[in-house]
Amino acid sequence: MHRLRHLRGELPGRSHRREIRKFVTSSVFKKPGDISVKECPQVLKRGGFMITGKYLVAVSIWLPVAAALLCWLGQSYSLRNIVSYLTGIILAVCALGLFLSGPFDYQPGEIWGLSWNTAISAADFALLALILYIGWRQRHKLIIILAAIQALLLICFDFGLGGSEIEPVPAFAVDHLAIIMALIINIVGSLICIYGVKYIAEHEEQHPVAKSRQPRFMFWLIIFLGAMNGLVFANNLYWMYFFWEVTTFCSFQLIGHDQSDEAIGNACRALWMNSLGGAAFALGLVILLRYGGGDYLSMQYLLSHHTAAGATGAILLAVSMLVLAGMTKSAQLPFQSWLLGAMVAPTPVSALLHSSTMVKAGVYLILRLAPVYAGTYLSSMTAIAGAFTFLAASVLAISQSNAKRVLAYSTVANLGLIIACAGINTPTAISAAIVLIIFHAVSKGLLFLCTGYVEHEIGSRDIEAMEGLADRLPAAATIFTIGIISMFLPPFGMLVGKWAAIESAAQLPLAAFLLVLASAVTALFWLKWLGRMLEGRPGAIAQREIMDSHYIASLGGLTAAAVLLSIFIGPVVNSMVTPAVTQYYFSPGLEANLETIAAGSGGLFSVWPLFILLALIAVAAGFLYQPRKVKNPPVYLCGENAGLPESTVFMTTGENMGEVKLSNYYFTGFLNEARWSRVVNRVGLIMILLLLGVTLW
Amino acid sequence: MELINKSRVKSPWLLHYDGSSCNGCDIEVLACLTPIYDVERFGIINTGNPKHADILLITGGVNKKAARVVKNLYEQMPEPKVVVAVGVCACSGGVFHDCYNILGGIDRVIPVDVYVPGCAARPEAIIDGVVRALQVLAAKTDKEAVV
Amino acid sequence: MVKALMVVLLVVIMAPLLGGLLTGIDRVLTARMQGRVGPPVLQPFYDVLKLLGKEALAANRRQVAWALGYLVLIIASLALFCLGGDLLIIVFTMAFAAGSFVLGGFSVRSPYSHIGSQRELLQMLAYEPVLILLALGVYLQTGSFMVKDLFHQSQPLLASMPLVFIALLIVLTIKIRKSPFDLATSHHGHQELVKGITTEYSGPYLALIEVTHWYELVLLLGLAAMFWTHPLGAGILLALAAFFIEMVIDNICARLTWNWMIKFTWTGGIILCLINLGVIWVLRAGGV
Repeated sequence: MHRLRHLRGELPGRSHRREIRKFVTSSVFKKPGDISVKECPQVLKRGGFMITGKYLVAVSIWLPVAAALLCWLGQSYSLRNIVSYLTGIILAVCALGLFLSGPFDYQPGEIWGLSWNTAISAADFALLALILYIGWRQRHKLIIILAAIQALLLICFDFGLGGSEIEPVPAFAVDHLAIIMALIINIVGSLICIYGVKYIAEHEEQHPVAKSRQPRFMFWLIIFLGAMNGLVFANNLYWMYFFWEVTTFCSFQLIGHDQSDEAIGNACRALWMNSLGGAAFALGLVILLRYGGGDYLSMQYLLSHHTAAGATGAILLAVSMLVLAGMTKSAQLPFQSWLLGAMVAPTPVSALLHSSTMVKAGVYLILRLAPVYAGTYLSSMTAIAGAFTFLAASVLAISQSNAKRVLAYSTVANLGLIIACAGINTPTAISAAIVLIIFHAVSKGLLFLCTGYVEHEIGSRDIEAMEGLADRLPAAATIFTIGIISMFLPPFGMLVGKWAAIESAAQLPLAAFLLVLASAVTALFWLKWLGRMLEGRPGAIAQREIMDSHYIASLGGLTAAAVLLSIFIGPVVNSMVTPAVTQYYFSPGLEANLETIAAGSGGLFSVWPLFILLALIAVAAGFLYQPRKVKNPPVYLCGENAGLPESTVFMTTGENMGEVKLSNYYFTGFLNEARWSRVVNRVGLIMILLLLGVTLW
Repeated sequence: MELINKSRVKSPWLLHYDGSSCNGCDIEVLACLTPIYDVERFGIINTGNPKHADILLITGGVNKKAARVVKNLYEQMPEPKVVVAVGVCACSGGVFHDCYNILGGIDRVIPVDVYVPGCAARPEAIIDGVVRALQVLAAKTDKEAVV
Repeated sequence: MVKALMVVLLVVIMAPLLGGLLTGIDRVLTARMQGRVGPPVLQPFYDVLKLLGKEALAANRRQVAWALGYLVLIIASLALFCLGGDLLIIVFTMAFAAGSFVLGGFSVRSPYSHIGSQRELLQMLAYEPVLILLALGVYLQTGSFMVKDLFHQSQPLLASMPLVFIALLIVLTIKIRKSPFDLATSHHGHQELVKGITTEYSGPYLALIEVTHWYELVLLLGLAAMFWTHPLGAGILLALAAFFIEMVIDNICARLTWNWMIKFTWTGGIILCLINLGVIWVLRAGGV
């Protein structure tokens, strides 16, 4: 709270606010190329207004810790409620403040005489000890082995190679990509936490437990936000590794929330697979220190010393380890089973960790390292591995009738697409990757939250149970419609990303081919699902739906974000994506103004005409169909209709009646999930081995 | 509106239903679609869907079980519509008029506009009946205000 | 800007007239192939006008909204095509239009409509890769995704992308709903499907869908005409020849299953495109 007062004391007067507003408006609507981030701090300094960014960074990491502890110790619903709302609002404000302040570096000072480096080192070992203990308790060999390997690597790093002495500065570097991630984590994440407070209360009503686990749930959910903030701001790779492990641990705790055998089993699987990534990360750190020297532990140094020439040798091997870590975190083939298993967790967990933020940490790292491995075989292999995941996961999604599993496979697929863009490594592709990150986080989070809400209302998460949702829960169906369309259709942001990706993929033919196939496949499973929700009886009157304020805030907020961000994608690209790309690449990749986006290959996309048309369609439909003037006849059942006009009961043989039963195609015979998973996992494993292999070669 | 009225006559889509016919008249109806008689010259298409049809072509007398079906099909057709009863069984029950299960001709269940007698009705007669039905349709729409 | 609006207006007014005329010619030629006389050439217009005069029946508003979405988005794709826009965006907008049609079919709890929509989705799965590969092929050959840059080519696309053109013919067969791919709906009723997706549409709403099919026909034939832009007359002849080939295929084939359709397009269609694109890639890499 004292931090807030501190900030409030530094707020500018009215004239300065006007100046800042003028700056913001003029900068986001400038033509591309005119925007200069360097202008920003000067304008602000001139106004005597110093957003001290370092406080925002500190707040965004420490406030969640404090808030999480409050939720856990407080034990009351209303306390959790207030804390979630307040934390969410403050974090969102912090992120916006960081966006306005622009890039900067931050090196925190000492605490109680100890350097932060030592503190984090100690915390790291403590965490590994905890994971070892968990592995021992669960009798899970892989967890124990991988935690032990990580501990050994860390000991080698700290004491064998003298890593504990080295402190690359700055520890935190907030640049454009980090700001984008921070906006996603703090705004989307906050909305999900607000949703989560209410959701977990309802969850416990429906599945009563002896001692309430809600405080624990909110503790891990909120503290995770702090860890993610730390991860994206970290410039010191050792610190990033620490935050990485914390997010793994949060994921483990949250997946196992229900404490059923299935939950614990899946939590352990997530833990060992992410630990494998952690071990790769640690190995990468050791290689960097041993063969590159302490300077290479700073991301800025790594990027600035290997951008133009492209990395070789040991540095590239270390980078490939980091890429592998990113792939396990983002549940790419063959590691996707942990994400699928994580769907047993309550929905806010799936939304926050397993679609919007934690899995984004993996692609964030791979994307951030892209300038380092540009032009190498590692880049091409990454692109092909990502594209293959995109295809395989999309195909597997067709066979799922569990809504959350469809969303999980879709998440794996889209993360594969982002990684493929990072691998293609042209300015357009990198811009596409960032655009995809932003829009996927919003839309997928929205879809997960809506699925959770519907699951509580109808008691099932099966797509077949969602038949006719448009008449039972019209608001939820509308949100689903917007969410699903925004995932893969023009003129929404996800499609802009996919379009830019395909436009830039032509130089890597295999990747381009896989992207093309996958693009065709995604429409099938989305439209199938949406179709079931819209299937209604003739003349059915939509029921009144009453949504709790938490749900209105989170679902409404994310829906509005999905639509508005897509409409104003021009300013979004100009103010966020282009600065991030031009920092390391010499052209912006995507050039945008208010209505049009141009890709590097010469393609052009006008966004606004389609939005205007969609609005016209919605309005015109109201005129074309006026309930009083249009009759609602029964459906055609060969004349055998036997009930009221709105029913689908029909006469069969004798005097028997039958009811129409409908279902989607799931192709479970051909697309047997177990068999196909074995096949694609093998191919995925070969790809990972090739990925590591080409760097060695 | 003049154009729409003219189009109604030039584009009659029909739904063919067999009430309880011996299929004799049905075969003659299908013969109309073949190259020898070629009713598509008049724009006639045999849709299988009452929601798309203007003319309901029924053969055979109606029994108790078919009565519900005939009513359903008739009600699912949008206005303006006409009904043509093809064959003497559809007109009055024909040879089966006194059977315990036959209610009689189609007009026991739904209003019929044109009766085409014959056992089986010849394709020329059926085509003539459809053309007469179009004239009834045109007359109907002049009287009612549809759309 | 004004010029663009004029083009769009011209397209919106003339395309359905052209499409309807082509549909009428299709029916007459099909009839002649079957040894019949066939309807008058203007028959499709009589059909649509008659439908407009029927009573309005529908299940709910969303059924109508999605059908309207199908119409508007196809017009948008066609307009974008005539303005020389990005081919990839045109393909994706067409996908949205087709998806809108599918959702309209799904809006009612009717077995025939449901099966029609499921099959239409499978049709989309079948032809979508070929269309995107077509766009990629155009980019590889000409260096641009924009349709308007095709008019600056010295060599017609047909010379460098003949296999892609054949694959496009397969896509055309599916999209204008000709046998063997008239699985989701077609101009005549089917035994097991009745009218498929359009079963629960009637009157003015069915007229809307009919007109949308006319626009779509013009757009698809435009994609075929794109293969010969200098002189444009040759492209138009090419498109009409493609249309005639479709009529012939329709009359000699029986309807097959969706299984077969996907196998055929994903092996035959995609392999044709890959070979063609591969040759272009090699020639470009060698030449440049």
